[in-house]
Amino acid sequence: MNSAILAQVLVNGLLLGGLYAAIAAGFSLVWGVLNVVNMLHGSAVVLGAYAAFFGWQLGINPFLAALAIGPAIGLLGWVVQRFIVQRVIAAPVLITLVLTFALDLVLNNAMLAAFTADYRKMGSVTGLPPLMIGTVSIPADRLIAAVLGIVATFLVHLYLTRSRLGRAIVAVRMDQETARLMGVKVEHIYALTFGIGLALAGVAGCLIGAVFPISPLNSGGYLGVAFVACVLGGLGSVVGAIVGGLVLGVVESLGSMLIGAEYGVTVAAVLLILMLLWRPQGLLGRAGYD
Amino acid sequence: MDRRSFLAGSAAAVAASGFANAQGADEIRIGAPLPLTGPLAPEGRKQKRGYDLWAAEVMKRGGIEVGDKKRPVRIIYSDYQSATPRGVQACEFLANQEKVHFLFSPFGSGAAKAGSAIAERYKIPMLAATASSREVYDQGFKYLFGTFTPNETLTDPIADLVVATAPAVKKVAIFSRNDLLPLSLATALREGVKRHKLDLVFDEKFAIGALDFAAPLTQMRAAAADWIFVGGYINDLIQVRTQMRELGLKPQVLTMIAGPAYEEYIQALKGAAENVSSASWWHPAVRYEGEDIFGSTQNYVEAFKAAFNGDIPDYAEASASAVGAILQLALKKSGTTDGPAVRDALAAMNAKTFWGPVHFGPTGQIDSLNPPVFQIQNGKTVVLLPDEIKQGEFKLGIS
Repeated sequence: MNSAILAQVLVNGLLLGGLYAAIAAGFSLVWGVLNVVNMLHGSAVVLGAYAAFFGWQLGINPFLAALAIGPAIGLLGWVVQRFIVQRVIAAPVLITLVLTFALDLVLNNAMLAAFTADYRKMGSVTGLPPLMIGTVSIPADRLIAAVLGIVATFLVHLYLTRSRLGRAIVAVRMDQETARLMGVKVEHIYALTFGIGLALAGVAGCLIGAVFPISPLNSGGYLGVAFVACVLGGLGSVVGAIVGGLVLGVVESLGSMLIGAEYGVTVAAVLLILMLLWRPQGLLGRAGYD
Repeated sequence: MDRRSFLAGSAAAVAASGFANAQGADEIRIGAPLPLTGPLAPEGRKQKRGYDLWAAEVMKRGGIEVGDKKRPVRIIYSDYQSATPRGVQACEFLANQEKVHFLFSPFGSGAAKAGSAIAERYKIPMLAATASSREVYDQGFKYLFGTFTPNETLTDPIADLVVATAPAVKKVAIFSRNDLLPLSLATALREGVKRHKLDLVFDEKFAIGALDFAAPLTQMRAAAADWIFVGGYINDLIQVRTQMRELGLKPQVLTMIAGPAYEEYIQALKGAAENVSSASWWHPAVRYEGEDIFGSTQNYVEAFKAAFNGDIPDYAEASASAVGAILQLALKKSGTTDGPAVRDALAAMNAKTFWGPVHFGPTGQIDSLNPPVFQIQNGKTVVLLPDEIKQGEFKLGIS
C-alpha cells in the first residue's frame, strides 16, 4: 500500500470516526453514569436523522437543524428516564437493559409504521465539490459532519468539566452515595444525563442523515458502533468516546482495505473482543467500573 | 330494531356471505410475497405494479379462462420488509393459511431460491419474475419457473461490447453486494474477463446493508481500474455511485446491474448517472407480438402508461406482468387450477408474449430471450445491443 492510498484510507477512517464519536458519546455517558446499557440509543440516532431529513425537505440545513433536534430528543430522553427508566434504576443491569430494549422495540416499530423501512436520502447538503489535498479527496459534507460530530462531543465534555451540573454528573458517576451526601439530587442528575445522552444521539442522527441513507433498519448498526467505540474509549468517558470512535473508524477503514470490504463489521467485533481481553476499562476509561 | 327487521337483516347477511363465499371459491388466488418496505422496497413496488396491471387487465376482460368459464383473479400480497427469512415465512403463510393456488416468488434470486422450497413442498407452481441466477434453478425443483435468463446473458454482451469499442480498457474491477444475484453476476463477468484476457485488478464483495464504500473505492482508484463493474440493488448502486463521485473515481467504463434500468436511479443521481452502462432482460424498445393478454410489447407499454400516469415500464415491472400473462396462458392450456397440471403446462410452454418468446429449459429457467444492453445518455436509457433495436453508440467516460 503506497502512502497516497494510506493517506486516503486514514482520511476515510477519520471522517467515519467523527460520526462514530458522536454516536458513542451519549451512549457511553449514560452507561458510565447510570449504569444503564441504553438499547434505545440506535433508534434515537435514527429518529434524529428522520427529523433532519424532514427538515431538509422543508429547506432547513440538517447541520443547523441539529441545534433544535438534539435538545428535542434530549427532552424526550429526560422524560423517558424520569418516568420509566427511573422506576427500575436500582435494579440489576439486566433489568434496565431489557427495559430499554423494550423501549427500543416500541420506538423502532413506531418509526417503521410511520416512515416505513424505505431508505431516505438527502441530496448534497452543501453542494460543494470534494476538497482535494494532493491525491486525497475529502468530501465536503462528510468533513463538516465529522467535524461537527467531534465538536458536539467536545462541547459535552466541556459542560461536564466546567459547569456545576456537569461536575455533579461526574460526581454521581464516581460515587453516587457520596454525591448524594454532598447534596446532589441524584435522580435529577440521572434524568439530565439520560437527556444529554439522547440529545447527542439526536445530533449524531442529523449528521449521519446528511451523509448516509436513513432507515429504521440501521438502528442496530448504530447501536453496535456505539457499543464498540464506547468499550474502546472507556465507559463514561466522553473524550474516550471521541478516541474510540476515531480508532474504530480508522480500524474499519484499514480492515476493509486489508482484509476485504465485507469484513468491516467483523473487524470491529474482533477489535471489541481484543480490547475486552487486553484493556477492559478502555483506552481512557476507569478500570473495574460496574 | 324490531324482530322482523332483525330477521330480514340476518337473512340478507347470510345470503351476502354465501354470495361472497361463492365468489371466493371461484376466484383464483395468487400469493405474492414482496419487499414492499425496507431497502428493497423500490424493487418490490415495481413488481407489485406489474402484477396489479396484469390482474386489472384480466378483470377488465372478465377473468381468466379456465376450462369453459372465466374466473376472477386475486393477488394476495405479503410484505416481508426486505428480510429474506420473513419472505420464506410469507410463502409458507400464503400456501398454508391463505391456501393460494399459485405463487409469484419473492424478489431477487436469493429470496426466490429460499421461497421456492415452500412451493415445491406444497406442489404449488411458483413463477419467479426477478430471479436470474442459475443457483436458483439448479435445485432439482419441478414447480419453479423464471422469466430471467442466466446472468452470463447480461455480462457476456457487455464484455464483448467494451472490448470491441474500448480497446484501451485493460484493467477491470468487480465490486459486488454479498447476495446471490450480484455474486452470480460477478462470477459470470469473471469468465468474460478471462475470455477477453483483461486484467482483473480488484474483486471484492460488500456486506448487505453497507452504507460506507470509501475504503474499497479508494482501492479501486489506486488500482487505476479502467472498467468498474458494480453488482447490487438500486439503493446500493446509488450510494456507490455517489461516493465514487466524492472520491473523484472516474473509470472509462462504469457498469452497474441492476439499478440503472430504473427511472428512480436516473432521478436520484441526475448527471452522475450519465454514461453508466447496464443490461436487463427486457426494454420497452423491444418489439414482440404475443398471444398473451397484452398482445404486443407496444400494447403493454401503452397499457402501463395509461395505468401509471404515463410512466414507462422497466424490465422488473414488465417481468412481473409477464409472469401473470404466462400463468394465464398455462391455465388456459391446462383448463384447471390443479397445481401439477398447470406445472406441466408451464414446462411444455412454447409461446409468444409481449415479454418475448417463452420457453422454459429443463431447470425451469427461461432460455428463449436475448437481453438488451443499454447506457444512460442525456438522462435516458439508450439501447446499444442487440443490433435490431439499437438506439445509439456506446460512450466512454463518466463525470
